[in-house]
Amino acid sequence: MRTFVTAALALSFTLPALAQTGPDQQRFRALYKELIETNTSLSAGSCTLAASRMAAHLKTAGYPDADLHPFSVPDHPKEGGLVAILHGSDSKAKAILLLGHLDVVEAKREDWTRDPFTLIEEGGYFYGRGTADMKAQVAAWVDTMVRYKEEGFKPRRSIKMALTCGEETSTAFNGAGWLATHERALIDAEFALNEGGGGRLDASGKPLAVTVQAAEKFPQNYQLEVTNPGGHSSRPVPNNAIYHLAAGLTKISTYQFPFQASDITKAYFAKMGPQVGGEIGAAMTAFSKGDMKAAPVLAKDPSYNSVLHTTCIPTLLSAGHANNALPQRADANINCRIFPGTSVEEVRAKLQELVGDPEIKVTASDKRSEVPKGPQPLTPVIFKPVEDLAAKMWPGVPVVPFMSAGATDGAFLTPAGIPTYGVSGMFGDPDGNGAHGLNERLRVKSVYDGRDFLYQIVKVYAQAK
Amino acid sequence: MRGFAGAAVAAMIVAIPFGPAVAQNLRPDQQSFRALYKELVETNTTLSAGDCTLAAQRMAAHLKAAGYPGHDLHIFTAPGHPKEGGLVAVLPGSDPNAKAILLLAHLDVVEAKREDWTRDPFKLVEEGGYFYGRGTADDKSLAAVWVDIMVHFKRDRVAHRRPLKLALTCGEETNGAFNGAKWLAANQRALIDAAFGLTEGGWGSMDEKGKRIALGINAGEKLSQNYQLEVTNPGGHSMRPVKDNAITRLAAGLLKIGAYDFPIESTDASREYFSRMAPLTGGEMGVAMAQFSRAPHGGKAAAVLAGDPRYNAMMRTTCVATLINGGHATNALPQRVTANVNCRIFPGTTIETVQGKLQDLVGDSQIKITAQAARSEPSKAPPLIDAVMKPIISEAAKRWPGIPVIPQLEIGATDASFMTPAGIPTYGFTAMFFEPDGSRLHGLNERIRANVLYEGRDYLTDLVKIYAQ
Repeated sequence: MRTFVTAALALSFTLPALAQTGPDQQRFRALYKELIETNTSLSAGSCTLAASRMAAHLKTAGYPDADLHPFSVPDHPKEGGLVAILHGSDSKAKAILLLGHLDVVEAKREDWTRDPFTLIEEGGYFYGRGTADMKAQVAAWVDTMVRYKEEGFKPRRSIKMALTCGEETSTAFNGAGWLATHERALIDAEFALNEGGGGRLDASGKPLAVTVQAAEKFPQNYQLEVTNPGGHSSRPVPNNAIYHLAAGLTKISTYQFPFQASDITKAYFAKMGPQVGGEIGAAMTAFSKGDMKAAPVLAKDPSYNSVLHTTCIPTLLSAGHANNALPQRADANINCRIFPGTSVEEVRAKLQELVGDPEIKVTASDKRSEVPKGPQPLTPVIFKPVEDLAAKMWPGVPVVPFMSAGATDGAFLTPAGIPTYGVSGMFGDPDGNGAHGLNERLRVKSVYDGRDFLYQIVKVYAQAK
Repeated sequence: MRGFAGAAVAAMIVAIPFGPAVAQNLRPDQQSFRALYKELVETNTTLSAGDCTLAAQRMAAHLKAAGYPGHDLHIFTAPGHPKEGGLVAVLPGSDPNAKAILLLAHLDVVEAKREDWTRDPFKLVEEGGYFYGRGTADDKSLAAVWVDIMVHFKRDRVAHRRPLKLALTCGEETNGAFNGAKWLAANQRALIDAAFGLTEGGWGSMDEKGKRIALGINAGEKLSQNYQLEVTNPGGHSMRPVKDNAITRLAAGLLKIGAYDFPIESTDASREYFSRMAPLTGGEMGVAMAQFSRAPHGGKAAAVLAGDPRYNAMMRTTCVATLINGGHATNALPQRVTANVNCRIFPGTTIETVQGKLQDLVGDSQIKITAQAARSEPSKAPPLIDAVMKPIISEAAKRWPGIPVIPQLEIGATDASFMTPAGIPTYGFTAMFFEPDGSRLHGLNERIRANVLYEGRDYLTDLVKIYAQ
C-alpha cells in the first residue's frame, strides 16, 4: 500500500487539484484492480463472478438484497450481470441508468508485453485488458454507487446501474439486449449513460475535446468462405482455397468506401477544427461546412477516418486441416463498421463485387442488434450539464457531439425507449489506447479524472427536475 | 455376419458392373479382411482426436487370436505420447539364419473434418465400387493387408523360411509430433532388423475408368519441409482500421508464393519414368513425356507435363500454403497471423535454399519465415536389386499382363526415409492403383476402389510368400 501511495504521489504533478490520492481513491483503485484481474473474456473468464464481486461491494456499502439483482440465464452461466438500484425521493421522476459491460475482448498472454489480467501501473498508464474498454468506467459506476450510499445521498431520481456481459462478443449472449427484452421494467429510465464518449487528447496528452456520444456506426461481420476438394500437398494444384481467399482479401483491403457526412460528424469537426488547428484543423472546418474534398486529409488519422465512411477489414483468418494437405476450406471474417443509412446487404454486395470471384462466398453473419433508425436527439438536458462540469474541470476544452465508430450496448437500449448516451470524462490517446488490441492502457490521470467527473455528473442528472 | 455379407454383395453387384472378377460374392477370407479393414478405418487415428495405441491394440488382438504368443507382440509407446503408440509383431521362420522381411505401415491418418466431407470420414462406406473414409488408401489399406497376411501365415501355417516382421507405427502424417518409425529405428533397431522392408509409396496408376496403366516402385523421394510465415502487429480495435493489417500483409506474401514455379529438374529415375510412361500414356502427354525424357529442361514438353499435378510434382520443388490462422476476435485487428507453407524439395536442393527463395518471393521483411523442424534427413532410395524386383515383376505379369513396373520419384514422403538410413533398405511398393485424382490422399472424400484393394491384397500376399521362402 505504501509503495502505491508513493507511486501515485509521484504522478500527482500531472493531476489537477481534484485528483487527490486520498483513501477513497486508493479504495477505488483496489476495486478497479479487482475488476481487471477478474478475467471476463468469453473463452476463459466469468462475468458472473465479476458481477458477484461488484455486488459484494454494494452490499457492504449498505444496499439491501432487494435492490441488488444479479442475473444470468441457464445456458450462459458465466455470462451474468447485475442490476442495482438507489431509490430516489421523487417517486414520479423517472430513473437514470448507468450502463456498463463487464466483459472484455480476448487477450493472449504470449502476445502481450505484460500479463493482460494483472493491473500494472507504469509510466503514467494503467495497463491490462479492460483498463480502457471499459472497466475503468464500470469501476467508477460501482464506486459512485458505493459512495452515494455511504454518504446517505438521496437523489431525486432513482439511480440504476446495469452491468452486463457480452458487449464484445457479437454472437454470444448479450446481457443488455436480454435486459431490454426480459427486464424492461427493472431498468426503465429516462435515459442511460454508457461508454462511447469521453475525451480526446492530442499526442502530447493535451485535452482537445470532451465528447458526448449520440450516434454510432453499425458493426457487421461478414464471412468469406472458399471450399475445395483439397488433396495431398505433395501434389499441388492451381486451384487453392488459400490463394483464392488471399486474392479476395487483397482486393478488399485496397478499396475505400466513399466518404460521408452526417449532422453529428459535421458538428463534431466544426468544434474540433479550432482546437486542433493547422492543416488538419482547417480540413475539419472545411468538412464541417460540407467540403468533402477535406475528407482525405482527415482520413490520414485512423480515428477520424473511422467516422468518415464505412470501413471493412479482415480480422480473423483460418484455413486448412493439416500441414501436409491442400486446404479444403478457407475462411475469413471481415468486420465492417457501417455508416448510418447504409444497409447490411449493400455492404455485402459491395464485398462480393470487390472480391470478383464466385469461388468466394460472402455471407453476412448474424446481426448484433437491429440497425438503429437514426441518432437519438442530443437535448440540452443531456448536453448542458456536461458543458458546465467540463468548463470547471477542463476550462477551455469544448464539449462536442460524437458519432462513435465502435458499437455499444446503446444499440439495444435506445430502440427499447431508453435513449443512451456515451459520457465518461475519460480522455483517450489518439492511438486508440490498445482497446481490443495489445497492451491496452489508459492514462492514470484519465481514470481518476473520469471517476471524479462521473461521480459529479450523475449527481447533477439525478437531482435535475 | 450373414446380413453384412448380403449387403456387401448387393453393393458390389449394383455398383461396379464393369468390375473384374471381384465383383462377385466375397470369399470368406475377403469378408474377414473387410471386417478388419473396417475396424481400422473406423478407429480414428488422427493426432487431434484419435488413438494409434488403440488401433495397435486392436490389431494385436487379431494376431493373438490367430495364435501369436504374447512375447512376439510388442505394443510400444514412448513417454509423453500415450496415444501415438504402435505394434511390432514377429513370426519366426524355419531358417534361423535367414534375415527377416519387414512389413511397415503407418496407423495414423491426416485430420478430417466431418463438416467438410460428404460422408463420415471415420465410417467405412462402400459406394459405387469405392471404399470411402479417411485412411481407406493412406495407409490403412496397406496396414490392414499386412495384419491380414500375418494372421494368414500363422493361422494357416504357411511355410516360410525367413521371419516376417510387422511394424505398425504412428506419426507418419504429423510433422513435428512423435514418429514411431523413427523411434523404432533409433530405439528398437534389433527388434525390427530385416533384410529389407516394404512400405507405402510407389502406387500404381490407372485411368478414370479403372484401367490399369503401370505399377510404380519408389526410386527416391522428395523431402517434405514445412515453413512458417508469421506476421505480428500491435492490433487494435477493428472500428479504427489502420493501413498495416497483418492478414492483408500475409495474404499478399502468400499470393506471391502461389504464383511462383520452381525451376524444372530431373533425376535418372524421373527421366526413366517419363521415358517408359510415354508409350503407355500416348497422345500429347505421351509425346511430351518422351521429349522431356530426352531433353529434361524447361520448354514446351515440360509445360505440357506441368499441366498434370502428378507430373508437375515430379519435375520441380513445389511449395504450397496449407494452413493459415490469424486474429483473436471478430472485432479486433489481428495481432498475429501465421501460415504453413509445405514444400516438397527436389533431391539435391537444400532446406535453406528454399527458405531463401520464399523470403525473396514475399519481399516483405515483416513476414518472418522460419523452417520447421526437418522431418528427416534427405535420404537415398535403396538400389532396386533383383531379389526384390524380380518377384514384383513376375507377379505383376501374372495378374496384369502388359502392365510394367516403373521406378519413380516419390513426390510424397514416407517412413522409408527413417528405415533405409538405419540399414534396413525399405521399398515403397504397394500394388494399389490410384486414379489421376491420387485417390484423394489427405483430401476430402479419400477413397480406393474395392477391387483394387482386394486384388492388391492377393498380390501382396503372394509376393510376401515368395520373399519369405
